[in-house]
Amino acid sequence: MFDLEYVKTIGGGRKIRPYDMAFAADGSIYVLNHATGFGAGRFTVCNLDEDIIAELPDDAGDGAFAQAVSLAFDSEERMFVLDEAKSRVTILDRQARFLDRWGEPGSAPGQLDRPSALRFDRNGDCYVSDQMNHRVQKFTPDGRFLLQWGEYGSGPGQFDMPWGLNLDSRGDVYVADWRNDRVQKFTPDGQFIASFGEPGRGDGQFDRPSCVVVDDGGYIYVGDWGNERVQVLDPDGGFITILRGQATLSLWASRFIDSNPDEKRTREASNLYPSLPPELESPFHASSQTEPYFFGITSLHLDDQGRLYVVESRRQRFQVYQTG
Amino acid sequence: MSEDIALMAHLMRRAGFGASRAELERHAARGYEATVEWLLRPGDPGDFAEDIAKRRAVGFDEGGAAFELWMVRMIHTNNPLEEKMALFLHSLFPVQYMSQGRALLNQLDNFRRHAFGSFRDLLLALSRDPAMLLFLNNNDNHRDAMNENYGRELVELFSMGVGNYTESDVKQCARAFTGWTLGNADYMAVRAGKNSFDPYGSIAWHFEYRPDDHDDGSKGFLGESGPFDGEDICGIIARQPAAARFICARLFLFFASDDIDDEGRKAIDDMVETYYESGYELRAVLRALFNSAYFKSDAARFARVKAPVELVIGAVRMTGASPTPGAGSAGANGASAAMGQALFRPPSVEGWHEGKEWIESGALVQRVNYVAALFRDADKPGVRDIIDRIARSNGGVYSPEQAIALCLDLIGPVTASQETRDQLLEFAARQGSVDLRDPDADDARTRIAQILALITAAPEYQFA
Repeated sequence: MFDLEYVKTIGGGRKIRPYDMAFAADGSIYVLNHATGFGAGRFTVCNLDEDIIAELPDDAGDGAFAQAVSLAFDSEERMFVLDEAKSRVTILDRQARFLDRWGEPGSAPGQLDRPSALRFDRNGDCYVSDQMNHRVQKFTPDGRFLLQWGEYGSGPGQFDMPWGLNLDSRGDVYVADWRNDRVQKFTPDGQFIASFGEPGRGDGQFDRPSCVVVDDGGYIYVGDWGNERVQVLDPDGGFITILRGQATLSLWASRFIDSNPDEKRTREASNLYPSLPPELESPFHASSQTEPYFFGITSLHLDDQGRLYVVESRRQRFQVYQTG
Repeated sequence: MSEDIALMAHLMRRAGFGASRAELERHAARGYEATVEWLLRPGDPGDFAEDIAKRRAVGFDEGGAAFELWMVRMIHTNNPLEEKMALFLHSLFPVQYMSQGRALLNQLDNFRRHAFGSFRDLLLALSRDPAMLLFLNNNDNHRDAMNENYGRELVELFSMGVGNYTESDVKQCARAFTGWTLGNADYMAVRAGKNSFDPYGSIAWHFEYRPDDHDDGSKGFLGESGPFDGEDICGIIARQPAAARFICARLFLFFASDDIDDEGRKAIDDMVETYYESGYELRAVLRALFNSAYFKSDAARFARVKAPVELVIGAVRMTGASPTPGAGSAGANGASAAMGQALFRPPSVEGWHEGKEWIESGALVQRVNYVAALFRDADKPGVRDIIDRIARSNGGVYSPEQAIALCLDLIGPVTASQETRDQLLEFAARQGSVDLRDPDADDARTRIAQILALITAAPEYQFA
């Protein structure tokens, strides 16, 4: 029996403005912030107990990141940061000090055009979702091009502005084929295996999926970005359930509220799950009006305890669920 | 220049943001009245790639980005009159940006839904608009502690004007709107006042009616009495001759002329008659205006100074400066603001002062520079189309006089004064005739683009 249980919310109180995250070997959570300032650095290091371990600087080696969208550790615990606007990969140490970079704008093999996501396989090579080239590319950690697949289109193996990607325990690659409203599954060398979903708001349908993660049992979790929800599919792509979000106050958020009595008093008298007029019932409007709901899901992660982390770019937080 | 094209260009400048020659020809083939009907019945507005804007920037609908989204929509919409009405209503019912771009975008959706329906329903929708309610403090309008702000502006600035109501009417109006507020009003007001995005980002606003905070006692309003609520008030206002004349005159001033002369007054009389005949329907009133002899007359053409938004959007649309919606609005929002019209930052609750003030405020240089820069680029799709049309029109070799006449025709048509023609000729004659027979003749194409840019700097181009 598949089960999902809400655990907690981490964020708020200006501590993070997350877009992506990665787990270090010691279990700490490295959060990639889409914006800095108001108390957030480019990276915030924290843990599940909501301790702030470090705020790390915004240094791409030649200035600040322009649009950092994806973060992953390699086997040597170096941070790989994808800059969508600059179409390149920057490599940092765990203190976010610059080590190296690779990648350049273009459409030739090995070049990138607004890349959206980077994830490593077990061999230490990485896959990059190459958004505006409508393809996936595979590189060695030092940026040597290995292979690519995909082109613009809506047929099997084609893409329309792919966003997130991830690998399952066998190394198969799942791609959130954003503007095709589906998730595609490929072998490690890019052979098409399956496609899940179609446009829509119903069960098993997607509206611009942004991210995907697969657990050890093969269950597929999809960040259904336009529908502002997470959908869970079985290993064959069959619909299992939907998460809409149920955030509660994090430790940091509680501290903020406690230190602002006027907001605390009026918030406690508020209904944060309001009933809305018909013109505001779309998923986007409902999430914009309903604070506990997911809003702007940009990445999904599973830790080694089977906890699912849902990163919400528009809510300055992530919600944690226990799978099992 | 054919009269059909000139009249169609006039209609599209007023009921839209101007149109390319290809669009004008399509409309002219359909006929004037059929085109008016097409404008009055918006269909699919098109794909503005909002998903891409939303993906590119997390705060795609916040702050200035929200206004950029509206600019993108104005540039790319298939329903120009729908956006023109949204602009009219934003100027008629102006609210200032208050910490939340989303509330303003939702308000525009509200305007679009009611732009062509009954004036009563429009006032009702306005009275339920969270941005307006918060802007005019109706969240502080309680059964036992009245706040008159919204009630006063509703009768004074939004529907009838001074002299058509008493102080008592204002109070009774305000009583009728007690309990009309935002969901979680107190919390939202505290957050808006502090511009707070904590702890978890912005929470958008929605309307909420609180019966326990509503004064349901009897009220005397504009000669009628009863236990009125806001819905009743909107109905009573919409019946008033002052309201009929108010909305018709404001539509006339926005779409027909900067001034109301005797002929204009007659046109407004006809609009008022239509207003009542149609059950206060704005679509019918606009139809009467656009099909009126006054609107179609020569005297009405080029009789309105283009507002900055109209000028900027018209130029961007015609030059095709922003062919991809997701690519943004080619700086249209900033340009319009520099010319004196920053969306959602109107100078007061009275909106902008339209007309000659737009070009007397020192913004003329900004206007000319922005538009001329767009037309000077011979590679812009819209400019390229104009040049290609000229190249095809009559052998491909043109005297300076011929080139100027063709440019004036295709950029408008614009009727230029002799003084303007002389200045254009002085410029064009310097390099003699223009030879466009070779499609790769960049120099010749650039010269045409320069003439077009020069036309946009002429006084005539400032008028719609």
